[in-house]
Amino acid sequence: MSRTVAVVGALGAALALYFVFSLYILPMSYQESITPQRPEAVITSVEFSAREIALGEKFVISVAGENRGQEADMQIVSIGFPNLTSIDGATTTSHDFRQTPFRVEPGDPVGTSYIGPQGNLTAVYPSIEAFSRPWEKGKSYSISIEVKPEMEGRFLVFTKSVAFPHTREMAHYPREGMLDYQNEFVQIHSVNVTKP
Amino acid sequence: MHYFGQGSSLEYGTGRKFLAGCILVSLGVLLAAGGGSWDITNHLLNKPETFFAPPHALLYSGVGTSVLGAALLLSSSRFAGRIVLPAKMAVAGVILLISAGPVDFAWHSAFGLDGLFSPPHFVLVSGMVLSSLGAIAGMVYYRTMTVRGEAVRLHPALVVVGILPLWLSLSGIVDMFTLPFSETPYFNFNPDRTSAVVLAAVGFPFVIAACLVGSYFLAGRRFGTMSISGAAFIVTGILTSIVPSDALISTIPFYSLSVIPIVVSDALLSYKQWKSSRIPVYLAGAIVGVTFFMLYYPLITHTYNEFTNFGRLVWPGVTAPIYFELLSTVYPYVVVPAAAFGIVGALTADRLAARIKAL
Repeated sequence: MSRTVAVVGALGAALALYFVFSLYILPMSYQESITPQRPEAVITSVEFSAREIALGEKFVISVAGENRGQEADMQIVSIGFPNLTSIDGATTTSHDFRQTPFRVEPGDPVGTSYIGPQGNLTAVYPSIEAFSRPWEKGKSYSISIEVKPEMEGRFLVFTKSVAFPHTREMAHYPREGMLDYQNEFVQIHSVNVTKP
Repeated sequence: MHYFGQGSSLEYGTGRKFLAGCILVSLGVLLAAGGGSWDITNHLLNKPETFFAPPHALLYSGVGTSVLGAALLLSSSRFAGRIVLPAKMAVAGVILLISAGPVDFAWHSAFGLDGLFSPPHFVLVSGMVLSSLGAIAGMVYYRTMTVRGEAVRLHPALVVVGILPLWLSLSGIVDMFTLPFSETPYFNFNPDRTSAVVLAAVGFPFVIAACLVGSYFLAGRRFGTMSISGAAFIVTGILTSIVPSDALISTIPFYSLSVIPIVVSDALLSYKQWKSSRIPVYLAGAIVGVTFFMLYYPLITHTYNEFTNFGRLVWPGVTAPIYFELLSTVYPYVVVPAAAFGIVGALTADRLAARIKAL
């Protein structure tokens, strides 16, 4: 009988210790010690093959991004074309991102307010989303896109970069300026398209 | 009813080939299930775009090993003059495994990248369940045929090799219907969020208890094998779901602690003073059942986050903080159903063991 009591006591103590550690001590310890990564998204260069073209001609835009913070689970360099009606007007000619850039058509689901790459919002204009998953600390990736404008006038290009987990302001670039339809800051560039 | 028939004892050589076939099928499914688990982690971390990834290599090595095992089973059955039910199950399962490959290829060709749940993936995991069930049934059959009149007791190594792939495969079935990884541009096979959390809270505890208590009975109601089976599951989880993610490595001690309730349950069942009572079975089932939330870390984070905070993405870097938040907010609500279905799982294993004993 006393042996049985001892066995029950030992097993009960082991279980109690397990639940105390698993439900209280270790979670508290981890919540204090585990900090989410702090990536820092930057667009380091945006270059155009030409700043003025005739309608019917094409130009090439090259965008390079960098992560100057801790490793990002995912970082996106987004190039948006508010003056195009379809992403067919833009073709990726080269890139060194880890994954294939994603082509967004108007009407596709997109994210908003730096929550994530996909959400309940609908794309208003086409864009190319180049991304690396993961994006290591200090690493740079670049993409070149050939674009054929559809109309004369000022042809706009929006660029931005967002890193995830989006834990702070430094995880997106630019950090101020104009907000796009996704409620995210963008850099504005333009190419003058003249009559042919 | 007699599942395995009353044929004459297997000849020595044929019997050993039969057992080897069962072991190879089990090992093959173990490799495939481990590869599958690693593949889920790889997709979360690296979003691979090529078929030729290390987890796929492991998975298909497992399929190849299972095919070899099935060939041995068929060969030994041919010499024995009949194909017993366990062999039929194992071979049928391997056929499903093999057929899933070209079906998956056709699906990819038509619809691009698929999610966790897709018809071909379901065929694959169903094949894994069937073949691993057949393999362990074959091991039991081998034992009953070669040592007639004695209690069925498998060597602990055989129990672990047999139970672990079955446990992983059954977990894979539950994962398919609980993880929100099945939405693609063409199809949205993501489970309903409420159904997913309910199924996780009842399915996982049932599977854990059935497999662990089953391992106890298969080893002849002796202490140790259940603990080793649990430890093997934990090691597999560490290698496939935690180690690949730098952000989770520091939580290995937390995950490893889950072996304690398994050892406690093993001791409860094995203590000879209580062996004639059913109460240790209920207790063991409840104890291992309630550990489901810890044993299925980190992936279970996605299931419960989807329910509690839809729209919040579980990036690899924030999986651990989100999990520990869910542990304090969600776990208290799932403990009771988990214990209940852990008991159901344990009783199921108990009933099955009683039927085997009756053979």
